[in-house]
Amino acid sequence: MERELQVLWAAIVAYVLGGVLAIFGVALGRRQGRVVLGLLLAGLLLHTASLALRWQRLDHGPFITLFEILSSNVWSLMLVFLIAYWRIPKIRPSAAVVMPVMFVLMGWLMLAHPGEGHFPPTYRTPWLFIHIGMAKVFLGATLVALGIAGVVLLRRYGIAEGRFAALPDDRRLDELAYRFMALALIFDTLMLITGAIWAQDAWGRYWAWDPLETWSFVTWLLLAFAIHLRVTYRPLPVRNAWMIVAVFVLAFLTFFGVPFVSESPHKGAV
Amino acid sequence: MQQPPVIDPGLQQTLASGGSTPPVFLRGAAWLGSLKLTLALLVLLVPAIVLAYNSEAWRSWPLAVPLTGLAFNLLAALTSNPAFRRQTALIVFHLALVALLLLIAAGRMSYLKGTLELTEGAWFEGGALTSTDTARWHAGDLDQVRFTNLGFTIDYAPGIRRDATRNRVGWIDERGRMRESTIGDQHPLVVEGYRFYTSFNKGFAPTFTFTPTGGKAVLGAVHLPSYPIHEYEQTREWSLPGTRRMLWILLDFDETILDPAQPSAFRMPSDYRVIVRDGAERWELRPGAAIDLPEGRLELVGLRSWMGYNVFYDWTLPWLAATAALAVLSLGWHFAGKFRRKAWDA
Repeated sequence: MERELQVLWAAIVAYVLGGVLAIFGVALGRRQGRVVLGLLLAGLLLHTASLALRWQRLDHGPFITLFEILSSNVWSLMLVFLIAYWRIPKIRPSAAVVMPVMFVLMGWLMLAHPGEGHFPPTYRTPWLFIHIGMAKVFLGATLVALGIAGVVLLRRYGIAEGRFAALPDDRRLDELAYRFMALALIFDTLMLITGAIWAQDAWGRYWAWDPLETWSFVTWLLLAFAIHLRVTYRPLPVRNAWMIVAVFVLAFLTFFGVPFVSESPHKGAV
Repeated sequence: MQQPPVIDPGLQQTLASGGSTPPVFLRGAAWLGSLKLTLALLVLLVPAIVLAYNSEAWRSWPLAVPLTGLAFNLLAALTSNPAFRRQTALIVFHLALVALLLLIAAGRMSYLKGTLELTEGAWFEGGALTSTDTARWHAGDLDQVRFTNLGFTIDYAPGIRRDATRNRVGWIDERGRMRESTIGDQHPLVVEGYRFYTSFNKGFAPTFTFTPTGGKAVLGAVHLPSYPIHEYEQTREWSLPGTRRMLWILLDFDETILDPAQPSAFRMPSDYRVIVRDGAERWELRPGAAIDLPEGRLELVGLRSWMGYNVFYDWTLPWLAATAALAVLSLGWHFAGKFRRKAWDA
């Protein structure tokens, strides 16, 4: 276990360096996109190696303990953000919004006990990978949208306004954030469908209003509401940005908050 | 995702021909199909979900009202919103959502949920369940289902944490042939649309033959409380078949079945006694031993296992899966078409 934790620490250091550089790059008005990209990619590769070592040692994926679930979520969120960072250079300064959120998760990960958990028999199914994979893409897309929305909000409220001046105007950012929200809606829908299929197999029912199911459904509804609201009233980008923040907060609570109060077998992050 | 309402060409024609206001039905359809109403109904759905989450009694009408409203809202939008009508993928997605609602409603009106316990070697037949929750319009043929429990193995990880369950079952298929397979965890037995799932509920079953005075011997099994959850309560009152006599049965063994320190498996104890009490009288029986009671002779045949099953019937399941797949594909198709026109990094 020592080695996988050492590699994980190295990954976290690379992520933090990349994130700090991205934040200072925005604050100081310097473009350091490639260096940040390189550091985040190095972090992701090291993190992948750490997860692979653990997977090989325990003979199951990072889906059981709080430590494993935080680790795999940091990995998937970084992967989705890194793809967006690489493919859409114009939104790179949004790393200054995204990385502090990631730092919170990384700090939590460092505090979590890295002990092992029991891999339940109901997890021995391809639906585990499909359901969790969809959930991770959903949260990743919401995170990228949050980064873009954060830029819109910071500019609107005059915080670091000049630092984000090089980014596209609010309308264009709003349209881009909407695309990521649409992507999030597709993968959230897939997450609910595949979760229902898995629940039918594992527990003999596809829906039981357990806390995680209910909160996931409410998150899906809020996402659908946000998209309908945008189409109906065509609100200003700043209002759409607040809706994105609300969706992300609800999704975050569903992923990392509800499992702590849930008594049902559908545990998620615990 | 619907487009804002646009005045229908029919309505424009009405206006052009001199009418100062559109006909009532067109105004009604425009209002009923408006996106503002969609938003209001989505908001109304939230308290309905809170009610459904907190109480099983509130899982029908509070949800049905906003969901029915959304279905009518969609149908009205189809008639009153030409921009919406032009977006085939979006229409397919929304209609698939309505179909999902109808299927869920149909499932809720015809489902069956229940439990049963089956001794190793015994057959489930006649449709008798230990507990059952049947919807009003359930029309399945549970009484046609016949299957037998051929025994099971359950692995336990250290700390007595349940691992893989493998339950051999035999059943009679639709052609009357005997079939066998292994079920457990996420692999139910599916017969006549009924899905039988193994459960954590399982245990030991002392098995007796009771020969009433002057009558034929009958075989009976006493399902002791679930093991290992009730490890120290392996006792049960049992009514002697065909009589009013209540016997108190206890399974006694000293060996460790499931070792918390290492991997183990559920198995029968190799050395055990069954204690039978009738009022002040008490007997210790080993396999083959018998006692004479006023109603007849009771012999301990041996010890078997029993398995508890959850039963679920919902004919809509494959249709739900297909409709959900259609919904998400059409949603993807809609957004792909929408975003293809302009690069993400434009």
